[in-house]
Amino acid sequence: MAATRTQREIRQRAPVWLVLLLLINLGVMAFDARDSSGKQRMFRVWVQAIASPAQNVFAKVSGAGSGVIGQIVNFRQTAAENEVLKQKLATTEAALSNARLAASENERLKGLLSLKEQTGYDQVPARVIARDPSIWFNTVTIDRGSSSGIELNMPVVTSGGIVGRVIALSPWSAQVMMVTDEKAAAGAIVGQLGGSGALGSVRGSGESGLIEMRYVSGLQKVDIGDYILTTGQDSIYPPGLRVGEVVYVKHGTATQSHEILIRPGAKLDQLEEVAVLLYHPPQRTAPEQTLPNVDKSNKQ
Amino acid sequence: MPQLKIAAVLALAILLQLSLRAVWYPLAYIDLPLIVVVYIALQRHAWHALIVGTIAGLAIDAASRALIGAGGFSKTLTAYLIYFVATRVNLENPLMRIPVLATATLLDSAIYVFWHRALGNSPNVPFVQTMSYRLIGTTIAGTLVMFLLDSVFTERARTRRSFASRRKGARRGAR
Repeated sequence: MAATRTQREIRQRAPVWLVLLLLINLGVMAFDARDSSGKQRMFRVWVQAIASPAQNVFAKVSGAGSGVIGQIVNFRQTAAENEVLKQKLATTEAALSNARLAASENERLKGLLSLKEQTGYDQVPARVIARDPSIWFNTVTIDRGSSSGIELNMPVVTSGGIVGRVIALSPWSAQVMMVTDEKAAAGAIVGQLGGSGALGSVRGSGESGLIEMRYVSGLQKVDIGDYILTTGQDSIYPPGLRVGEVVYVKHGTATQSHEILIRPGAKLDQLEEVAVLLYHPPQRTAPEQTLPNVDKSNKQ
Repeated sequence: MPQLKIAAVLALAILLQLSLRAVWYPLAYIDLPLIVVVYIALQRHAWHALIVGTIAGLAIDAASRALIGAGGFSKTLTAYLIYFVATRVNLENPLMRIPVLATATLLDSAIYVFWHRALGNSPNVPFVQTMSYRLIGTTIAGTLVMFLLDSVFTERARTRRSFASRRKGARRGAR
């Protein structure tokens, strides 16, 4: 009887708990959406700090697993032939595949190393260990965090171009918002800095994996295949980093800006190694807020 | 201790959800925490379902670029609605889990995306296409995962089955 009453009580109180939990979630959500200062929530730091070791393990296991699967496939293909040939072939293919992997990794790492020479900024190399757990967004998690000197909003790049910026940090991992995200933006220019007046800003166009460039004057010359560089005016990316190349232009007029789509230079679908630039944008003095006719000596 | 089992299963589901997308991209379409939430709601434990829904949602939100609370809201509400239906309609048949999972996935996706759009943080993937893939992935995987969960929570399932057979026997006797 007591158990029945408890069940009945639970059933009666369930809507109250529901409303309470929904209100808590709503409050947290509104608080999270309201703040646009770029600060991160301690809750995110904790969850990422706890999750990153497991994600690291999965990244390593999946790498090893795909190698094993590849070898099994090779083994089956050659099983129809004789045993000796099969073994030789499997060994050769495994060695070749390892050599190719090593060569491509070497190439990527060389690219990252050359970045330091090109940009002149210190960098932290990092490996992508996870992608956004929610299918609705497209961030990546890297295996370096605040303990490696990474800070919020630091730019993340590959030898191909910019990848995005750090939006959340834990001591051992960091979350990176891709430049293709609708909320990501950067100051950019078509062609060489100082050699072109085609200034604008780039932001993710969402679905297509392309980047949209806005506010480029319709009087400026822009063609398909032109490359886009950062200007450094956004206080996130240093000037002169490659963003990508123009793949579509709808030419504007004197009163209308060009509509430009850019393919990112970094291969964002196949990211494995990236580098975080330890870049601190130059401090900008706040503009004078007081009116010109106010006597400033009275304020002190 | 069912609470411990639930906590362990939930923690495993969250960790897998955080890691599997890096292994193979399409695995992200399977929402493992939602499957656990639906399973517990189908057991008609209101408090467990609501808490598991909130924790699962908040944990995934925190590891994602999503608004913290959006997933918690959608999973909590989904858990309650399934619990509400499960206490009034017999959903014990394993085949019934398929439409329940499908509905839960649709509901969860719709609420989740609604809050993001309402608060100016729209997801950057096509809604209908992503929701369809998620529906297929979660429903198929969920149906299989729930059999695994049955074996984890065997004692309870066995008790429920025995009560069901007693009820059947009682009905036959009454006739």
